[in-house]
Amino acid sequence: MLRNVFTKTLWDQRRGLLAAVIGVTAVGVLYASFYPVINTPAMRDAMAAFPPAFLDAMGIADMTSPAGYLGSTSFGLLGPILIIIVGAALGATAIAGEEEAGRLDLTLAHPVSRWSVLIQRFAAMVVGLALACLGLALALVAISVPAELTAIPMANLFAAALHMSLLGTFFGALAMAVGAASGRRAWAFTAVAVIGVAAFLGNNLGPSVDWLAWTRDISPFHYYSGGQPLINGVQPADLTVLTIASLAMVALGGLVFDRRDVAV
Amino acid sequence: MSTVIEANGLTKFYGKRRGVDGLDLHVNGGEIYGFLGPNGAGKTTTIRILLDLIRPNAGSASVLGSAPRAGGTQLRNRIGYLPGDFVAGGRQSARELLTHLGHLRGGVPAERISALADRFDLDLMINVGSLSKGNRQKIGVVQAFMHQPELLILDEPTIGLDPLMQQRFPDLVREVKSNGQTVFMSSHVLSEVQQSADRVGIVREGRMVAVESVETLRRHAVRHVEVHFSEPPPADTLTGVEGVSDVVVIDSVLRCRSTGRADALVKALARHDVASLTIQEPGLEELFFAYYREKAEHAA
Repeated sequence: MLRNVFTKTLWDQRRGLLAAVIGVTAVGVLYASFYPVINTPAMRDAMAAFPPAFLDAMGIADMTSPAGYLGSTSFGLLGPILIIIVGAALGATAIAGEEEAGRLDLTLAHPVSRWSVLIQRFAAMVVGLALACLGLALALVAISVPAELTAIPMANLFAAALHMSLLGTFFGALAMAVGAASGRRAWAFTAVAVIGVAAFLGNNLGPSVDWLAWTRDISPFHYYSGGQPLINGVQPADLTVLTIASLAMVALGGLVFDRRDVAV
Repeated sequence: MSTVIEANGLTKFYGKRRGVDGLDLHVNGGEIYGFLGPNGAGKTTTIRILLDLIRPNAGSASVLGSAPRAGGTQLRNRIGYLPGDFVAGGRQSARELLTHLGHLRGGVPAERISALADRFDLDLMINVGSLSKGNRQKIGVVQAFMHQPELLILDEPTIGLDPLMQQRFPDLVREVKSNGQTVFMSSHVLSEVQQSADRVGIVREGRMVAVESVETLRRHAVRHVEVHFSEPPPADTLTGVEGVSDVVVIDSVLRCRSTGRADALVKALARHDVASLTIQEPGLEELFFAYYREKAEHAA
């Protein structure tokens, strides 16, 4: 556990990661176990009364099928928000947080390059986010019978969780890149908040307005849920887009990080 | 003798704030070099450039034969560094932290860590976060020395250490010198480095203003002497005594300055009944002023 920066980072974050796993899993499970209550004829009628554009804007799909319900709740808003917060926290801490705490000097004075520190911390973040999402998927599998979710293939639950972990990775990479380039945690969080809201609106509202239709194509949320992994399983093309975008951001952040001064 | 650290015209500004401004530095292999100067003179800036934590605006630096940036991880593997403000994550034991840092350097034997910790009375089981400033500094000292690097760069190493540990520190420094290791340590007080340093360089406002061997400085040092006699001494007690100046006698108390060898002074005093004797070592500034005044006088 103390061998290198990657394992040491995971080890140091073990308490926070455990809290993240519990939090993401708990929210997902609480939502999911509510499904039998929602799944009534009255709810079906109520949903039909809403204009479809409004539901799209809220990120709500067909609430009365198991996949539609989960996609609108556990995987729709609160789940992604939680995983983005976890990603942003891990990403912002990785370089900027360490630097602001005055701890980065010590690591970088050792025989480990700045690129190596950045990449190892990024890898630790990816693993942390994957663990949180894996916890959610396992919990959903466990409650799928009482929660009447068995219509969703088990593999698709894992697929959705994988997509969610990549969404977290995207925003975590954004926070890490901005933090590594600037050395400021506040800038990293600001970037995630601004781009997160813009991306959410771009995915959900953009398509309702003719001249904004293109915004969906550049929104990470589109590549997260647009392919409906709960219904269609893993979408390799979408995951590739999120992965390349994440790596590109970290690489850009690394280019600046490698050239700049480290603050005391 | 090989050159271990070389800097020429090193310049670093943080926006408009000066770090160093045309600093020159030359440290020989195997020596203990005291890098002295008041706070804000540019000591930490220089050190962080040597470790490639910051990059100079102008000038060049070379450490163990390579530029800090080009030397990269291979260079840093040969250096032990103690930051001026040693900070580490709180929720880990000292042993955990030191083992991890050792692994980053390809592994350091646990016995070596324990031996160094024992030497400074450092409990390795305690969480870093609950340690006092002095105890955290001990971890910093251990991590800098534990892999027996060729070059030690120490930024104010004894700051925060209690007096007993401050006394043990020069022993450790002399020991690594006898191993052939080079030590470059900064301080803002001479007394901290004079016990162990071979040479000192004085930095002021970002520039190196003087470099001398501690031995030379001490030889030219002006000491303040105060002698209490049992009865008022004759006015000519120290007249014409070698190395003595500015003699003032008030009642039975004599004050004077002494430079160089103290032998003549002691023998002159010994003819009278001395109740007490105080000799004050000069401060850093005084030392240099005296030395350069004398040099100027010789030249004239």
